Amino acid sequence: MNWVALVLWGGWVGADTTSFAQVMISRPIVAATGAGLILGRPVEGLTVGVLLEIFALIILPIGAARYPEYGTAAVAACAGYVHAVTEGAPAAGALFLAVAFGLLWERVAGATVTALRRANERLVAGAAEQGAFTAGRLERLHLAALGADFARAALVVGVGSGAALLLLRFAGPVWAIGESATAGALAVAAATMLAGTQALFDGWAGRRVTFGLGLLCGLAILLSR
Amino acid sequence: MRRLGRWTRARVFLRSFLVQASWNYRTLIGSGFAFALVPAFREVFRGDDRAVDEAVRRHARLFNSHPYLSPVALGAVAVLEAEGEGAEVIERFKTALRGSLGTLGDRLIWAGWRPLCVLFALAVLLAGAAWWVGVLVFLALYNAGHIAVRVLGYQLGLREGLRIGEQIRSPGVMRVQRALPTLGSFLAGLLLPLVVAGPFVQGAALTEALGDRGRLPLVWLAAGAAGALVGLRFGARVRTPVVIALWIITLGGILAGMDGS
Repeated sequence: MNWVALVLWGGWVGADTTSFAQVMISRPIVAATGAGLILGRPVEGLTVGVLLEIFALIILPIGAARYPEYGTAAVAACAGYVHAVTEGAPAAGALFLAVAFGLLWERVAGATVTALRRANERLVAGAAEQGAFTAGRLERLHLAALGADFARAALVVGVGSGAALLLLRFAGPVWAIGESATAGALAVAAATMLAGTQALFDGWAGRRVTFGLGLLCGLAILLSR
Repeated sequence: MRRLGRWTRARVFLRSFLVQASWNYRTLIGSGFAFALVPAFREVFRGDDRAVDEAVRRHARLFNSHPYLSPVALGAVAVLEAEGEGAEVIERFKTALRGSLGTLGDRLIWAGWRPLCVLFALAVLLAGAAWWVGVLVFLALYNAGHIAVRVLGYQLGLREGLRIGEQIRSPGVMRVQRALPTLGSFLAGLLLPLVVAGPFVQGAALTEALGDRGRLPLVWLAAGAAGALVGLRFGARVRTPVVIALWIITLGGILAGMDGS
């Protein structure tokens, strides 16, 4: 039952990315937490989601750009992580593997988005150019495209969750890097990506005062703990 | 001057949430734009199915806009169609509008409001809030802005029609556009030390892996600071190298383990 709910959640997450509403349940921080909630472990879902979110921040869906689909990948990565890890056990290695898998699977998912858009090009834009396009036909094709996107995303999550589970079950027990070093590598990657988001806000040169002010406040919070 | 009925206006607005469902590389959101306008065509050309189909064909051509700002164009075009404006004028108007709506939305929403809301939610989480608080804060804050942009944009389009171009370049919009990066860069700076030196999420497995205080050893803090400098220097270009580095470490971690077992 959980897997059915997970795949349906994945379909909704995928559709939210482009086709319907874009209320941002497709952000990793929401998508992975939702998947964790479905599987009964929302905190673990959020942990995977936060890390993948930091990688997703910098991606902008501008114009006709092709970009990785991080939402469905986050759901799949979370599913693999939750199933492979015992609740409460130290699991930096499994977390690392889940994040690396999510960053790989988002490319696969992105390729399926491109393929669907090509199909839309033939079906919808092609029909429009043939001239015999009616309002009713447009409505049917448009809604069919929405359904196809939902089905695509559900499939991406279903296959991806299975692949993530296999990877974590196989690679988790043989993971050779220590817990602290694994967590350190993740933290360094996250810090690099987070600093990279400064490019969205006019870059370092444009906002160094506000960035520096934020940095000081962050350090003050850290030291006060 | 003809005015569209309230129910028709509401249906066009609700359909704007689906404007990208048949997104494709040839007409971009063109077919979705025509799909959203169908209720307006059916009211304007009531009883004349041929005219409705003809209007659909005219509007299903190439069009692009940020999805949240598409209601601006939808409102304006619906009004122009209701007023019986010529097809050429409407087409020129759409061509002039699509660049502005795309650029403005990309800057205001994708590169401004969205990362700002994500960073704020991360700050809430790293401050120790429960998992559901961070997620709900993000969804509520982000969608308050999202829905406001859609509603206000649609009302503006319906009210201003052809004059919409002047309104979307108003000083108020520009002020918001300037404020978002300021807040965003502050939050990015605030989060940086917390992400490197603190636990990602309270109670999560990683925290426990790091020991009692959930802090990394000093060498990793230094590496995190160096990584941050690289990120500041290279911006979005760091993503691919960092992802590849993680994949290499993954392979290394697995192969070394298999070798040792």
